[in-house]
Amino acid sequence: MKRILYITCQPPKISFPKGILMIVAAIAIFAAVPQDSFAQKNFNKTYPASKNVRLNLVNRTGTVTVQGWERNEVRISASLERPFAQIEPQNLSGEIRINVVQDNHGRGEVGDANFTIFVPYNSTVDIETRIGNLNVSNVQGGFVRAHITSEGDVTLTNISASKVSAKNLIGDIFFDGVIRSGGTYFFKSMSGNVNIRIPLESSFKLLATAPSTRNIALGSFSNSSMRLLGTGRRVVGKVGSGSATVTVENQRGTITFLRR
Amino acid sequence: MNCGNYQNLISAYLDGELDAGTWRSVEAHLEQCDECTRVFSEFSTILEFCDEAYAAETEPPNPHALWCRINNIIESEIPEMQRETVSTEARSSAGFWNTGLNLSAGQVASAVAGIALISSLLTIVAFKNLSTPADPLAGQDGEDNVVEKVLADLGIGDTQVDRYERRLREQRAAIEYWKNRVEVRRASWNSDTRLVFDRNLNEIDKAVSEYTRLLDENPHDTISNEMLDSALKEKMELLREFSEL
Repeated sequence: MKRILYITCQPPKISFPKGILMIVAAIAIFAAVPQDSFAQKNFNKTYPASKNVRLNLVNRTGTVTVQGWERNEVRISASLERPFAQIEPQNLSGEIRINVVQDNHGRGEVGDANFTIFVPYNSTVDIETRIGNLNVSNVQGGFVRAHITSEGDVTLTNISASKVSAKNLIGDIFFDGVIRSGGTYFFKSMSGNVNIRIPLESSFKLLATAPSTRNIALGSFSNSSMRLLGTGRRVVGKVGSGSATVTVENQRGTITFLRR
Repeated sequence: MNCGNYQNLISAYLDGELDAGTWRSVEAHLEQCDECTRVFSEFSTILEFCDEAYAAETEPPNPHALWCRINNIIESEIPEMQRETVSTEARSSAGFWNTGLNLSAGQVASAVAGIALISSLLTIVAFKNLSTPADPLAGQDGEDNVVEKVLADLGIGDTQVDRYERRLREQRAAIEYWKNRVEVRRASWNSDTRLVFDRNLNEIDKAVSEYTRLLDENPHDTISNEMLDSALKEKMELLREFSEL
């Protein structure tokens, strides 16, 4: 005969008045917590825009993601962390401007502001942050600028702009896009890896400097016109007819060219 | 003596300047001559009026003579001043050329040669600046070219090293300024921001010390100069932008 052992857990017995007291205390504690104490706050705003609108964003800390889309409007979404930053976008003629540094100047500590912004494909994008990652994708306007004052990665994907400038101190820079004829492309890092992925048929003059590592990998873009200067710390040369200019500087990291 | 002679003596008589004989002679004539007594009365009245009414306004003795003297002084001073002004103007306008005319033939030849040399150098520099576009790929290994070296040797132009050193001095001064600003703001940052800032500043300082060491070994290393310049710029930017937080 099998004996089945049942172990039952009995809930602790709480007297009626004691239970009421606990519920009331919980409600009181919940109500006493200020709204600002919640971990995040969201900000959403959409602006009608022209096809070649200019987005100008200066962030303090946090990740910024900008994506091109087919609509003629700019949608700004931000998740804010405590203490919440004030965000006051300005819709000027042909330009959407957000300056989190200026809007929160003198406030002391301000939490991260993580932006996701959709812009028309042909927009000009000018974004910078003091700390955090910057991502830009699917933009083919005249100009893309993504600068990080200190650390964070810059990732530019599917970019077709005639002027591109990406900069950080500690972190990687990745550019995946097209080198336009007559365009200028500038990538600068202090410590990290700079990777540039471009079509093989690209045409540009190159000035690449990696003085510490001397690690400049040209891959498929290496040719006889390339010259090593300063005992391999710098490479100069031409790819194709050299109508565009590509300048890369990585003080303590590597530079790599990849075929797209 | 007739009345005219006596009238000429009346002034001296009133002033008590006559000898006793003449004085008695004049007094005797006045007692018997009405015309001379009238002149005497007029003289007396004038003298009394002057003594009483204008005693406060003491007129200088012999005013006519004094005015004559002043006039003479003025007339003698004016032509001298005019002569002096004219000669000063003449010196200032013609002095340089007068001096130049005194140059010897050798001095003139040297001056012409100097002017020609300076003009040639300025022309070369101007032509060079016009013909050389700011192409980052054009720089070979950053060495000064012949013209720049000649200009630097003559003390007219700076070498690349001079230019870099000047810029570095300016950058270091700016960095000190922003460093002080950051020190003031730093207390309001949270611990994460302070950590990130210190880590990045440390990274830049590593690069700065590396290039400084390389430049101590070889001051003409242009790539190290450029990289040091670039790193200091980054440092300045980091300090400036974090001082706004």
